[in-house]
Amino acid sequence: MAENLTELILDRAHNASVLMNAQGCVTYWNPRAERMFGIAREQALGRPVAELIIPERFREAHREGLERFLETGEGPVIDRRIELVGLRADGSELPIEITISALREREEWSFHAFIQDISERVRSERERERLVAELSLALRGSERRFDAIVGSLSDAVTIRDREHRFLYANRAALNHLGFESWELLRDTAPAAIMEDYLVQGEDGQEIAMDDIPSVRLLRGEQAVEPLLIRTVHRETGAQRWQLLKAAPLLDEQGEVEATITIIEDVTQERRSELRSAFLAQAGAVLASSLDYEQTLRNVAELAVPEIVDWCAVDLLGEEGERQTVAVAHVDPERIALAEELRRYTPDRLDPEQGLGRVLGTGEPEIYPEITEEMLVQAAVDERQLQLLRTVGLRSVLIVPMRIGERILGAMTLVSAESGRTLDRFDLELAEQTAARAAVAIENARLYSERSLIARTLAQSLLPEELPEIPGYEISSVYLPARETSMVGGDFYDVWPVADSWIVIVGDVTGKGIQAAALTSLVRHTMRSASEFQSSPAALLAFVDATLKRRPALSVCTAICLRLDREGATLAIGGHPLPVRIGADGEVRELGEHGPLLGAFADVCWRDYPLRLPAGGTLVAYTDGFTDARDEHGVRFGVQRLHETLAGLGSRSAVEMSEGLIGRLNEFQTGVHADDAAAIVLRRLAPGERPRDRRARTSRGTDTIAGPRSASDTTITRV
Amino acid sequence: MVRPSRFEIGEGMRDGVPVLSVAGELDLNTAVELDRHVQDTLAAAPAALTLDLSELMFMDSSGLRLLIELHRRSCAEGWTLVLIPSMHEPAQAILRLTGADAALPFEDPQVS
Repeated sequence: MAENLTELILDRAHNASVLMNAQGCVTYWNPRAERMFGIAREQALGRPVAELIIPERFREAHREGLERFLETGEGPVIDRRIELVGLRADGSELPIEITISALREREEWSFHAFIQDISERVRSERERERLVAELSLALRGSERRFDAIVGSLSDAVTIRDREHRFLYANRAALNHLGFESWELLRDTAPAAIMEDYLVQGEDGQEIAMDDIPSVRLLRGEQAVEPLLIRTVHRETGAQRWQLLKAAPLLDEQGEVEATITIIEDVTQERRSELRSAFLAQAGAVLASSLDYEQTLRNVAELAVPEIVDWCAVDLLGEEGERQTVAVAHVDPERIALAEELRRYTPDRLDPEQGLGRVLGTGEPEIYPEITEEMLVQAAVDERQLQLLRTVGLRSVLIVPMRIGERILGAMTLVSAESGRTLDRFDLELAEQTAARAAVAIENARLYSERSLIARTLAQSLLPEELPEIPGYEISSVYLPARETSMVGGDFYDVWPVADSWIVIVGDVTGKGIQAAALTSLVRHTMRSASEFQSSPAALLAFVDATLKRRPALSVCTAICLRLDREGATLAIGGHPLPVRIGADGEVRELGEHGPLLGAFADVCWRDYPLRLPAGGTLVAYTDGFTDARDEHGVRFGVQRLHETLAGLGSRSAVEMSEGLIGRLNEFQTGVHADDAAAIVLRRLAPGERPRDRRARTSRGTDTIAGPRSASDTTITRV
Repeated sequence: MVRPSRFEIGEGMRDGVPVLSVAGELDLNTAVELDRHVQDTLAAAPAALTLDLSELMFMDSSGLRLLIELHRRSCAEGWTLVLIPSMHEPAQAILRLTGADAALPFEDPQVS
């Protein structure tokens, strides 16, 4: 889901979007990239980025940069916009601006780049350079001619002298700076103008006068790069993204006489870019985990400070009560403030305003300007009013998280420190995020409910503890499947009948509720039938007949073992043959194959008498062991199982169970794709005491229950 | 992550009979896919259906269950199911183990 959603967004991105793996090869290539470089997605995927779009003279630098990053985790090009030269399929080159992010997932680095074709920008920059040259001439000549040239430019253009006073501003610049006439601007100190704005760089750091390109040129710096800034007007809260480019105007001695600054308004482009990136990231975060509270915290943190200064997520409980699950703040220390404010907020909210209304109506609310009167009205006492004032709310946005008509909760987005007002653009972004969050919450809730049902059910399908069998050590293993919301079909049971013991191990095909019902049926049928049938083969036949009476195909594999004073009797129905391990480590399969239960007409089973010598061990297992695959898809297999057991020949029953689990976990690196069960039965020598007084039921690590404690079972000898 | 099972289904006709060739591993995940192909093929109500399992490398109980269900259905609906046995030991093993080699309509009775 994460990949699909992210790709869905990136496919429509305005910029070329390329994903590269740690080997430097393309793993994603969007339609814009196809057009920009003239290379189709199918041709790009899997090929080295260097060969595709990097001109040969830069390839070595690219390779070294990648290597250095992989070694150190640091790189000068990461998370910055840089200008480079790209290569098209036809061999021609184009100037590009590129922003690279490094992503780390499951120990693997990958790199994402947004690429913009800036041919147009470079062309107009050259044009501007020419203009600047002309301007410097014009400046020394007639001021009138100069204004005729730049006066009508849509980009804002200002010229400042060495003392940073304005020498000139065109109409776009006057508009931009909020001055009605040139005279008013001329008479205002530059520092005073800057004070009207909160100015931040791309990274959210505050920008000082000294960082402004024209000021840097005046300090004597050469080749000053364009600077992208975000300005927020302190009074109106309006936000803008601007690209500042400056060039020096030199006098006859080559000294900087003045600076010319061109201010390009890139608000629309920048916000669209941020939105695409945010939604892509939010989609990935939301789909990354089924722990939705953690997921929502991640999303809240993602929104800060890119979109807003505060983000809170509230969910509606079953009784309609409100639960705050996440609060993120641009300044983590201020979260305490949020906590304190929350103590003033009742769980039952006023349905007429704010969050209460959004949760009631499912419609978003936007408060572009929070006024003092609004705070006074909302506050229940002086302390709360004081807190609200401390927070410095500027603008608030509350959007519902809903699935159809059902309202799951709401996201509250607050602008405070940044001073900017939230607008329709932010509302749209918040609504899209909330819609995705709602789906994630719903999925996570359904999943956790299912997991709980599955766990409860699975526990009821296996015996709580194994009985003691005189003269034997007995131990069991159950490893549930990785997918914990699924009840597996493997089972075992051990019970006494008259003066003997019945041991069964089996596997019903399928998963989930049907498998659970079938498991239960097979176990209880066996238990009941064992009261009047002593032959294991007859017990299997009885189960077979019961399964065949069911309307839907119900099949099951099982082994049935009967232990009594004389020895043991075994019957097998479609199940892997159990093995006997001698104290010397010799492994031998026991019994003979018999047909699957519930499947075929006119079939029968045979009793197979066997002897288990003292010190010998019998292991009956399900195919969850042999079918387990490692990361390369190789199966554990009968051979490996036999070798493992051979190496454990002299161990106690519990040690053998643990050894088996250990070997399997090692093989499949701890992940059980399917469930697996086994019973280990060791015959004690006359007079031998059981070696284990420990747990007899071993279950996997991510399992239904941990190993049983030492106190709840004891093993006695005959 | 667990690797997705390697699995392929080919569709064809042999002597006027639809043939589904199953290669790779038939397990819980891939049995669903085979079932879908089978249902699509049976929608045209053919007189017979051949499942060519000769390139089947592995089969678990879900795959076996699907074969048994198909066999039952063919008997109930009066069409002919023909199974061509796998040439690979791991896939043969489960058929032998469960008695399915004798009970299901394999073309060559000597599966092993």
